[in-house]
Amino acid sequence: MLATLLSATLIGLDGRPIRVEVDVAPGLPGFTIVGLADAALREARERVRGALRNSGFAYPPRRITVNLAPADLPKAGASVDLAIAVGILMGSEQFRAIGGRIALIGELGLGGEIRPVPGLLPMLDALARRGVRRAIVPASSALEAGLVAAVEAWPCGSLAEGVDRLRVRRRAALTSPARVALADSSAPADPLGSVGPGGPERRPFSLTAPVPDLAEVRGQAEARRALEVALAGGHGLLVIGPPGGGKTLLARTIPGLLPPLDDAAALAATIVASASGEGPILGLVRTAPFRSPHHTSSYAAMVGGGPGLAPGEVTRADHGVLFLDELPEFARDVLEALRQPLEDGRVTIARAARSVTFPAAFQLVAAMNPCRCGNAGSPSCTCPLGAPERYVGRISGPLRDRIDVWVWMPPVRAAAILGSLEPEGSAVVAARIATAQAMQLARAPGLLNARVGGRALQGICALTPEVRARAVALADAEHLSGRGTDRLLRVARTIADLDGAARVGVQHVDEAARWRSPAARSPLALAS
Amino acid sequence: MLGVGRHGPTGPRVEVDQGSAPGGGRLVDPGATDALAVIAAVEGVGPVTLERLLSVCGGSREILAMARGSAGAADLQAASRDSDERRPSLTAPAATALAEVARAPERILASMREAGVHALALGDPGYPARLRQIELPPRVLFVRGADEALEAGQSVAVVGTRHPTDGGRRTASRIGAALARAHVLLVSGLAIGIDGAAHSAVVGESGRTVAVIGGGHGRLFPAAHDRLANAIVEGGGAVISEHAPGVPPSRGTFPRRNRVISGLADAVVVVEAGTRSGALLTAAWALEQGRECFLVPGSIDAQQSAGCLAWLREFAGVARIVAGVPQLLEDLGIDALAAFPVPDRAVRARGSLVPPDRPTQAPSAAAVALDLPRREGRLLEALVRGAVTADELAAVTGFPIGAVLGGLTGLEGRGLVVGTYGRYRIPESAGDRVAVSSDPAA
Repeated sequence: MLATLLSATLIGLDGRPIRVEVDVAPGLPGFTIVGLADAALREARERVRGALRNSGFAYPPRRITVNLAPADLPKAGASVDLAIAVGILMGSEQFRAIGGRIALIGELGLGGEIRPVPGLLPMLDALARRGVRRAIVPASSALEAGLVAAVEAWPCGSLAEGVDRLRVRRRAALTSPARVALADSSAPADPLGSVGPGGPERRPFSLTAPVPDLAEVRGQAEARRALEVALAGGHGLLVIGPPGGGKTLLARTIPGLLPPLDDAAALAATIVASASGEGPILGLVRTAPFRSPHHTSSYAAMVGGGPGLAPGEVTRADHGVLFLDELPEFARDVLEALRQPLEDGRVTIARAARSVTFPAAFQLVAAMNPCRCGNAGSPSCTCPLGAPERYVGRISGPLRDRIDVWVWMPPVRAAAILGSLEPEGSAVVAARIATAQAMQLARAPGLLNARVGGRALQGICALTPEVRARAVALADAEHLSGRGTDRLLRVARTIADLDGAARVGVQHVDEAARWRSPAARSPLALAS
Repeated sequence: MLGVGRHGPTGPRVEVDQGSAPGGGRLVDPGATDALAVIAAVEGVGPVTLERLLSVCGGSREILAMARGSAGAADLQAASRDSDERRPSLTAPAATALAEVARAPERILASMREAGVHALALGDPGYPARLRQIELPPRVLFVRGADEALEAGQSVAVVGTRHPTDGGRRTASRIGAALARAHVLLVSGLAIGIDGAAHSAVVGESGRTVAVIGGGHGRLFPAAHDRLANAIVEGGGAVISEHAPGVPPSRGTFPRRNRVISGLADAVVVVEAGTRSGALLTAAWALEQGRECFLVPGSIDAQQSAGCLAWLREFAGVARIVAGVPQLLEDLGIDALAAFPVPDRAVRARGSLVPPDRPTQAPSAAAVALDLPRREGRLLEALVRGAVTADELAAVTGFPIGAVLGGLTGLEGRGLVVGTYGRYRIPESAGDRVAVSSDPAA
């Protein structure tokens, strides 16, 4: 007998509804899955067989054919396990399900437990848009499922429980999603049960290390200020300094400085987090993402790709910060691949079969040593002449052009660390950044200064003749290109925003001029 | 160093030859100067070989003629054999290369023209007289700029370490500026550090300076000094080398060029030198060549002064001490008044912090009030007092960091501050306007 059920799979960041047809027919016992299933999905056979047997059902000794429609869409992951298992039970007439369009999403364990799958949120969203109103979801994903208001989610911990829900006739006055706690007994006892493919992270969205407070960065007033300005305006930031100067510590304070995401951004960030399988999602992700991939990261890890066209680090950093430590040590093609997302805020990955576009509106924050030995500018540098210039030169021109703020972080003298006053903490600076961003968003909704260009930039800067003359003088003295001048004005605009000033003043331009890229400076000054 | 000792070939005969106009003459047979340049450009033809070939053949054109012969390479090798030695000083590959080059000299001459370089032979009338006096002077110089730049009434070499202290840099540039103002030619090596600071100071004063580089033209070392080299040539000075364009600088070429630096000068001033610094080699050559030798003393704790101090101790009486910039000029017999002009209102209006006639330790509040905004004046004062990073400037002045950064840009625009690697300092070119040590100026 034929059973037809609804489920969904994940393509990139998009959920796609899948029709699961299970035919249990007389004939030689066997189990075939057709419909471009990937390796994980093909192995559903074994999981489903185990789950059925260990949940007290019979595995029918018949010829079972599972068809996943649409047939030409490659399907990945284990999200249709549950639908296949229920389909077999229905096809072998072991129970009769209630009517109505009910989607079933979940991975099965051999013991019959329903495990969470990455991308539940976009899957439910896609189903809702197709008019599906009810879905059985993994119990531990109840809160995530609750984010899609249009779908009534029935969280179930096991196959048996799910079948029970489908079997009952009475109007399901069932547990509403909000009341299901993760620690509920309905959640699988198996500690791995609540773990997504992202890793054994139990505290959702906490970084591996706690976020340090900005006050822990001693000295380095210039770099702290540059970070504040860069975050306030969404500007690309490059911190250059010898090892041990606090570059990485400075960058790690970023999550504590960024304002919470607004609704649209939070939803986008939650979808990315869901699709990345970074652990259970307990609600809208309001914290701006902060990603710091290691410099050995591969091209696919950075921009996305792989067999399932999974989102990469640039997408996971969407609406947040992508921090690249030791920038010149990244592979050249990985760095060059950042150009499109930096320009457009999205990344398109094209493969022969299909292409996907992921959002990638991240802010780039990078850190590097000034040369290989790290001590350029001090007598202890052991690099040959010209090495620092070559080291910086590894960052290609187009990428440099997208970094608005360049700041040097010289080593701090011990006296400054031990003797200085307590510097401003994260809370103070975060408040200033939030105010400055609010000013920008009031001018142009959804647009931070870093992405304003051309005439609009001239408009928002509201230059007086005096300030214009100052900017022109600076641009002339430094041989700034048109783009370089735009960068100067953008940063000046952000400094003015931090100042609460409606117009950009001379002092703002002067301060912004400190952070031009070194290519714009006179080589004579560098050399002699 | 030269492969020739004190008793080696000295006082080479001087052939005067006028036929060296490039491009004008026949391509096949260049003038004697160009012929010499072509020969010297061949890798493996060193000064010793060149001398032997010249003494056997009689002249550079004759060498080329021999090289063009049917058994050119073999003849050349035979000619380079010294009576005392068995082996010819010219190796077989070098001889072959020379024979090849002799048939197409135009290629080398074209590459010279491309680099804007011309040859100046020992025999040419423009050859600097001072250099002619030294033992085994370079047979040919590759000059970028005017020949006249190499001659001056008075000429002083300023050399030092490539890794100077900020103070050393400032000293070098103050000496350079004072020499330029007194119309004394400054010779140095276009290296980073002291050399670069001295050259830049002269260029900043629109003076003339000569840079003797260790490699061939077109291979500046460091490459960052390209602009400085251009500025030197544009300012009426010259960049010269013993090597043909394109020869890479190497371990051996730098010591050799040091003798040219000292040879072009009446006196050598070493600003800062560690115990193993090449600048001391220049000083050694200076003494060898009968030039005066001055050393700037420094802190006994500073590595960068160890070499200078060791010399002052060991060669007391021969090596002289630099007790101050005016004192140095006096010891050199240079009219100090020219170097320290009487201050006038116009100079102050240009942004001078301290009238040069007022010896001071740091710019006084009154002086700062002359023409800098208060904020920038305070920052400058903090810089003079030893603050280095924006952080320290903010701590010393008490200004918010934004004001410090903006003020630094203002000072940079006036040429009073340069920033590298996040450290800020007063550049050499401003060293005189922001007097740091007390100069009993004229």
